[in-house]
Amino acid sequence: MIGNDVIDLDLAATESNWKRKGYLQKIFAPQEQKLILTSVNPDVMVWLLWSMKEAAYKIESRCTGIRCYAPSKLQGQIIQLTSDFSEGKIHTATSLYHTRSLIEKSMIHTTCSIDKKLFDTLKSSISIHKDQQYPEYHSSKPASVSHHGKYLALVYL
Amino acid sequence: MNKEELILRLKPIVDTYAQDKAAMENLNDHTDFIKDLHINSANLVDLVLDIEEQFDIEIDNTSMEKMLTIGAAIEIIQEKINTNDR
Repeated sequence: MIGNDVIDLDLAATESNWKRKGYLQKIFAPQEQKLILTSVNPDVMVWLLWSMKEAAYKIESRCTGIRCYAPSKLQGQIIQLTSDFSEGKIHTATSLYHTRSLIEKSMIHTTCSIDKKLFDTLKSSISIHKDQQYPEYHSSKPASVSHHGKYLALVYL
Repeated sequence: MNKEELILRLKPIVDTYAQDKAAMENLNDHTDFIKDLHINSANLVDLVLDIEEQFDIEIDNTSMEKMLTIGAAIEIIQEKINTNDR
């Protein structure tokens, strides 16, 4: 199973103020907060970790059938980080997920899987729709769908 | 605080983050913040922080986990207010 999450960084900057008092503490574990606050680019680190959590949550909630809002229980770890790519892990109470993230100036896209081998074969399609009118995509049978702001991300296995 | 008063104070907070304004017209206990009101999941924490400020309560992570519907939010707020009063 695959999960994916796309974040429109321009929209995120207007929708959310992660510097708000109490914000980081509610959704990030202490280790993640440290990663953010010591990062050279905290904005990117916030949304990178968030997209990793979201992508993992999509798999976890589908598998367990349980919905809950406990983002700090999906704990992110960064294995590798360059200016345009990151490899990471999400630890939950029961599972370990692997993540791969693409980082652009206005967008972060994370794919997530328990099985690392899936990353070699999956195909991601990210498209821009300025009016947020996304085209019909169901017929192409994507394995995971995410959209935020002007971005639509579809992942195929 | 009775339930009507509580809803009156909760509604404007929810409205700030609700992207589906039509769904705001028929709020009920089952209204789902994410599925019905299309609140961005990164804004759900803002909703929780606003509720804490508005009602002068603290919502711990265990309570926040359940905060997915209007009904759940009302229940949690009432529970925390009652704890404060004790």
